[in-house]
Amino acid sequence: MLRFLLSLAVGLGLGLGLGLYLGWIQFPVEYTDAPPSTLAESYQDDYTVMIAAGYLVDRDVNAALERLRLLEISNIPQYVQNVTERFISSSREVRDIIYMVALSEALGRLTPIMEPYREVNVRGTGG
Amino acid sequence: MGYDLAGNQPPARESRYRRPRSLVSWSALLIGFLIGLGGGLFYAWNINPVVQIDTQPWQLTSRARAEYMAAIALDFGYDGDLNLAVQRLIELRPQGDPFQMLADAACQLATSGYVDSNAGLQAVQSMKLLYQLQGRTGCADTLVAAVAQPTEVILSLPTPTPLPPATKTPTQVPTPAPSPTAAAPIQPTVPVQSDFVPPVVRTFCDASLPGIIEIFVQQVGGEGLSLQQVRVRWNDGDNLFLTGLKPERGPGYADFDMEAGLSYIVDIPGRSDPTSSPLVASPCTTETGATSITSYRVFFVEQ
Repeated sequence: MLRFLLSLAVGLGLGLGLGLYLGWIQFPVEYTDAPPSTLAESYQDDYTVMIAAGYLVDRDVNAALERLRLLEISNIPQYVQNVTERFISSSREVRDIIYMVALSEALGRLTPIMEPYREVNVRGTGG
Repeated sequence: MGYDLAGNQPPARESRYRRPRSLVSWSALLIGFLIGLGGGLFYAWNINPVVQIDTQPWQLTSRARAEYMAAIALDFGYDGDLNLAVQRLIELRPQGDPFQMLADAACQLATSGYVDSNAGLQAVQSMKLLYQLQGRTGCADTLVAAVAQPTEVILSLPTPTPLPPATKTPTQVPTPAPSPTAAAPIQPTVPVQSDFVPPVVRTFCDASLPGIIEIFVQQVGGEGLSLQQVRVRWNDGDNLFLTGLKPERGPGYADFDMEAGLSYIVDIPGRSDPTSSPLVASPCTTETGATSITSYRVFFVEQ
């Protein structure tokens, strides 16, 4: 009987360990219908860059603000400035920086670190 | 065959009572493992699941996904980078065709209050442009008007002549009632008609395709139009050629090799406006760091 119980306990331990590994790491619960505010930072950055590119097409800063509300950020101009400065300091792709600097400038958030990226001709025909 | 002291016959050689007993009960181990596995998964998935904060675009709500796609289209509208747009659309894990997913999302937004604002309207227009260029259609095609706005016509209405003040002495001859002067009908000013909407120009930089103008002449639905005469002009020359001579690229396709440093204008003679700005064969750097010459894609879409 002891042999049976010991084997059962060992089996339980192994099964539990494997179950938790699979459930938490290998196949964790994947949520759908998530709010945009939970979007990973890299995707929030991407979204912001895309909106900045849209701003360069229509030059409509209010439209850009409206589109960025999707991210449920309280202070959008501050957010755009922060992202732009982070892009510059982390040497993100120049194209993205230029888009973001243009949007920052439109929002009245042009800072000295952004100056070199103003009015630079990038590939693309917008504007 | 010997007997023990109690007079019992010993077990046969192949009997399990003669084999050494295993330390592990395999059946108990298996039962325990299965119970543990089930319990572990139940705990990890239901009782204490991973709290996900860094979600991906495909996990967003349907509406947020649609707005994310609008942003993709806006970005494409500026830089014309189709590969990047496709990559971003694929991150949304489409069930089938990513461009049809885009068309469906545009339809969803066009049937909502999203298009009540200019921002929304422009975004849906961008989505339309992107999926129409890929030959897809959606309900936004009809729900959202084309970019071109009707010409505003100011009509001058007839000015009524005021009645003269009444005289103290009435006269027998009645004053004829003033008759409004009918203004000559004003014809609305109609811009010069073109068979195509203004050409859309996209740039790209590819080391394997330096300084090329790729021309796509399409119907509204995206179907290519073959044997359309296209003209490319530069400082001291021009060249006329037809679409559809490279059938592997589609019936509405044609291309032209630019010379580095020169500027070019493309149009369909007599049927379209020329490209709004010169296409300059300027040096560019590819995403991999290689140097090349800027190339262009010019889209003529029938209106």
